[in-house]
Amino acid sequence: MTRSLLVPAACVLALSLPAHLFGQEELYLHVTSPGLQRVIVAVPELERRPGADAQGSATFISTLRKDIDEAVAIALLADERASMVEIDAANPTLTRQRWRAVGAQFLLQGSLSGAGSQLVVEARLFDLASGEVAYSKRLQSGTSLAATMAHTLANDLVHLFTGRPGPFLSRIAFVSDRSGSKELWIMRWDGADALQLTTHRSIAIGPAWSPDGQWLAFTSFLRGQPQLLLLKPTEGYLKPISTLPGVNTSPSFSPDGSRIAFAAGADGNTDVYVVPLAGGSPERLTSSRAIDTQPAWSPNGRQIAFTSTMAGSPQIYLMDAEGSNVRRLTVGDTYADEGAWAPDGVRLAYTSFIGNRFQIAILDLRSNARSVVAAAGNNESPCWSPDGTMLAFVSDRTGKKQIYVTDPAGKPRQVTTEGNNLQPAWVVQLQ
Amino acid sequence: MPRPNRTALVSGVVALLIVTVAACSRPKAVVAPEVSPAQEAAQPVSGSDRGDATQVQSEPVITTAEVPAEAVSASDLPADIEQLNKAGYLTDAFFDTDKADLREETRTTLAANAAWMKAHPTVKLTIEGHCDERNTGEYNLALGWRRAGAAKAYLVSLGVDADRIATISYGEERPFAQGHDESAWSQNRRAHFVITAR
Repeated sequence: MTRSLLVPAACVLALSLPAHLFGQEELYLHVTSPGLQRVIVAVPELERRPGADAQGSATFISTLRKDIDEAVAIALLADERASMVEIDAANPTLTRQRWRAVGAQFLLQGSLSGAGSQLVVEARLFDLASGEVAYSKRLQSGTSLAATMAHTLANDLVHLFTGRPGPFLSRIAFVSDRSGSKELWIMRWDGADALQLTTHRSIAIGPAWSPDGQWLAFTSFLRGQPQLLLLKPTEGYLKPISTLPGVNTSPSFSPDGSRIAFAAGADGNTDVYVVPLAGGSPERLTSSRAIDTQPAWSPNGRQIAFTSTMAGSPQIYLMDAEGSNVRRLTVGDTYADEGAWAPDGVRLAYTSFIGNRFQIAILDLRSNARSVVAAAGNNESPCWSPDGTMLAFVSDRTGKKQIYVTDPAGKPRQVTTEGNNLQPAWVVQLQ
Repeated sequence: MPRPNRTALVSGVVALLIVTVAACSRPKAVVAPEVSPAQEAAQPVSGSDRGDATQVQSEPVITTAEVPAEAVSASDLPADIEQLNKAGYLTDAFFDTDKADLREETRTTLAANAAWMKAHPTVKLTIEGHCDERNTGEYNLALGWRRAGAAKAYLVSLGVDADRIATISYGEERPFAQGHDESAWSQNRRAHFVITAR
């Protein structure tokens, strides 16, 4: 990363944790602060050289522009501003100054070439403040993968400015009853290409991804008692996880992917257990007589958040990954459940009961400030995008339960329509 | 054997009835409607100008026998398990919002279920824990598990063999009532009794 890039990167990180939020107990705001300054990138027409497939080139550029427009950290320079720039091919330095003059901070330039069914993209990102090349990449693939090439480039740009993976090849696993029973489904993060993963005609719920995007752990009633199963979406392969008699629910992978925390217990009690994926017997972490469930492994692997009724109502607690040092996290809620760590490990989204309805709250663990995501209806099951700039969650505002994903302005956008759709689990990329 | 005086017999029965009604603040197996004819008989019949009152004979009291447990075999029950479950021998128990505690009337229900289970020692059952749609799906699986467990524990405390009772939680996944209000929710917060073997 060039030196000049440090400024916008730091800016984005700082703004994702707005300072004005600190010390305030209750504040309605969007996931991304309305004050967030998106980095403005100009993306003029890429040079199309002879041999570049027309349809593949068109798909690439339209997908790239759409991705940048939907990214939280970066934004496309508005068309009316871009049209003001007079491009002087003989004087690229002067042209770059003109881009800067109309408000662009970065300029993406490049070319499309290729032969036959191959498409080659060469892209360079100029930092218009310094004139330096901040990023350059050459991508080559079959023309049928033009959209994937664009998503790859857009992901690189998000990573450049946030240090975290972009969402454009990410998928969301979820539960849907659209086929008549609760089955696991998967779709792209914007709701496209929904595919059914299980056809058990039983109850499949609570999907959780392995960090490498290879496995989905979930609760299945296929064999009567709810047990934990592992599913490999790319192969349709299913295998049981070593679990306990009685109820087995709420799996959560450790960040290194080697262990699964889950809730289980006999005769009405549920405690948090951890089981190694390589095999071995589950180890019990909690031992209260209350409900202990919904473990969520922190991004650094050292802690596990979980829901417990040890103080009466369900509240979210934190313990060390070995089960020690239990302390309560939520204090201002009558109900707190479904803790979901942001990738930064500082923010915890959860489901709270506020104003006589279920709403998504975000707890900042450094300041203990709670904010509430502005959204109509009852809302539950929050889940962060891999870069921590967006939230997926479930809302019943239309009558049925549907999955929503926040847009760059923080406004929830509905991404499912058919049946009831629940429990989104976001993965950066399917492996 | 001398024929007993009819009037004396009737007044004897009436007296017995009054004692029975008064003593049985908690009638056990007495069928309810028989109380009315007894009270009628106890009232002097009026409306006759001639003064010679007609002695109205009370009807015999019907009492359902308490059946000793060992006397009943499972074969008295319908052969078909589905039919057996529809017959309503066991009553579901209901719970307060977000609670798995047994209410007083829930204990009464469960005690009746326990008595029936002890009277039918070959029967096996599964207690399903259910929740209303509020709270999250994952939490409700734990809550339903707790409700099923609480119902089982009470039956076991009343002497039902634990091995005869399986438990499962369906959380909010299999609601009985489909509405989105308290009348539906209260129906869905239950421990549901399913006979699995007769």
